[in-house]
Amino acid sequence: MSAEARPRRPVPTVGPAPGELAATPAPAARTREKKPFLLDFFPLETADQTRLSRFFDRLKEGRVSTTRCLKDGVLLWPPRTACPQHHSEELEWVDLPERGRIYAFSAVLGGAPLGMETEVPFAVGLVDLDGVALRLFGRIEGKPWTELRIGHRVRLESFDIGDGRWFYRFRTED
Amino acid sequence: MNVRDVALVGGATIKFGVRAATWSELAQEIGVALFRAMPELRAEDVDSLFLGAAEPERFAFQSHVAPFAAEQMGLRPHRIIQRTELACASGQSAIRSAYAAIASGLSDVAVAVGVEKMNLPSMAEANTSMASVMDRAWDGPHGATAPPFFAMVAQRHQLEYGTTDDQLAAVSEKNHRFANSNPEAQFYEKSFSREKLARLPVVAPPLRLGDCSSMTDGAAAVVLVAADRVRKYTDRPAWVRGTGQYSDFHNLANAGSLTDWVGLKVAAREAFDRAGIGPDDIDFAEVHDCFTISEIVEYEMFGWAAPGKGGQFAADGQGDLGGKLVVNPRGGLLGCGHPLGATGIAQAVEVHRQFAGTAPAARAVPDPEWALVHNLSGSANVHSVMIYQGGGAS
Repeated sequence: MSAEARPRRPVPTVGPAPGELAATPAPAARTREKKPFLLDFFPLETADQTRLSRFFDRLKEGRVSTTRCLKDGVLLWPPRTACPQHHSEELEWVDLPERGRIYAFSAVLGGAPLGMETEVPFAVGLVDLDGVALRLFGRIEGKPWTELRIGHRVRLESFDIGDGRWFYRFRTED
Repeated sequence: MNVRDVALVGGATIKFGVRAATWSELAQEIGVALFRAMPELRAEDVDSLFLGAAEPERFAFQSHVAPFAAEQMGLRPHRIIQRTELACASGQSAIRSAYAAIASGLSDVAVAVGVEKMNLPSMAEANTSMASVMDRAWDGPHGATAPPFFAMVAQRHQLEYGTTDDQLAAVSEKNHRFANSNPEAQFYEKSFSREKLARLPVVAPPLRLGDCSSMTDGAAAVVLVAADRVRKYTDRPAWVRGTGQYSDFHNLANAGSLTDWVGLKVAAREAFDRAGIGPDDIDFAEVHDCFTISEIVEYEMFGWAAPGKGGQFAADGQGDLGGKLVVNPRGGLLGCGHPLGATGIAQAVEVHRQFAGTAPAARAVPDPEWALVHNLSGSANVHSVMIYQGGGAS
């Protein structure tokens, strides 16, 4: 799992909310500006904020996982706290296949949201994961978008976004 | 339960574009435009107000917007006052809600208004607001916005059916040309040949700038009334004959086929069945061309073009004057701009103008009787359809 260095951004104008520092363990290295929640797409990942914190804990172990309904074994994406088919909360965590193929892709060449302007151009796509009925959307790193093709193999990986939180993305295989 | 007949009897829009005006100023402006367009309308007759507004909390930092709009417009609704939010279909949702309220007897005279302020000093902030239409926590962090999603739709349509960039441009050329007859359109004074469109910068491959609708400030309003009130306002009403809606999925992982919009077909079937007509009966349609590829897929999903033949349908001018039916005579979202909450209302204003015979000759549909209005929202995961009958029917 590589944690790519991201450019330092200006000093944040809004600090952590009262109590937040006590509830959240101090991250090892902060390279990413802390944004106000309403301008930051990355979710709140800790157990005091979400019932899905296991997903993010596993990301830190290099595992991208999701929930499976124990009633019929169907994989649900995104991870859920309740199965929409059975209205059951009996779910289990399972690791996702690490590899897949690009079903469709494009790239953002302009008009990026706040915080992503410096990442333009970047590729995004829908990827059919090997051996399961899941087609995940995500950022595709590795090759530039001009070299991507439908059917190209990619690998699912987790990464440190730079402020103590982790997320997932795809990386092209050679 | 008895359902009353409901008609759209008038409406107005303001100038769409990058406006030097705030949300509340746009709302005041549409109030002026509506009462100017309908001198027989009295504020005290309006018992209900439905406001289509997608993201006032983000673009204007304003909640509780329905009473806010009522005050700007000089209205004091005494039966129903509410906002409808369905992203790009917020406007049509306001009309559908007004229709339901009147049909049920709860309202007699309702205004459906749409207001959206989208252009801010920071484009990145505006783009962030737009991206929040998607699944913020799971799709958002990857950089999911509308252009790359619809670009993937175009890529799959090109792969599966051989649709070309030039066929996409044919949609843009047509809708921009129609917008040249609409002074309220954002691109009223701009012309776009297919050659010019092919030279515009790529936004999200394969989509170029001319394939994408714009961030637009705008407002529009219509008046819907019960059958027994129609004659007070017009002798050329647009009767609401059918409507349908379908919400299929939200997270992009659950989209299924990108080129087969099941939700549109379900919503259309419901609307056609309620109206007692089929797709071949439609004389003109205002459909959701947020991107050129959207209109091409919609030709197919509504049954006007065969599956996979939407690109050819566009290139052959089948959605143009003299074609199978006229699609987006107002100028579409591509030519008029796309102020989210106002778009669906402005489309209905065009239905009224076509039926009333007040649309300019350059886009006038000859003797129209049936019109269809369609909005998609989000990642084409929700579809909303309305069917109107004009032609002097009563």
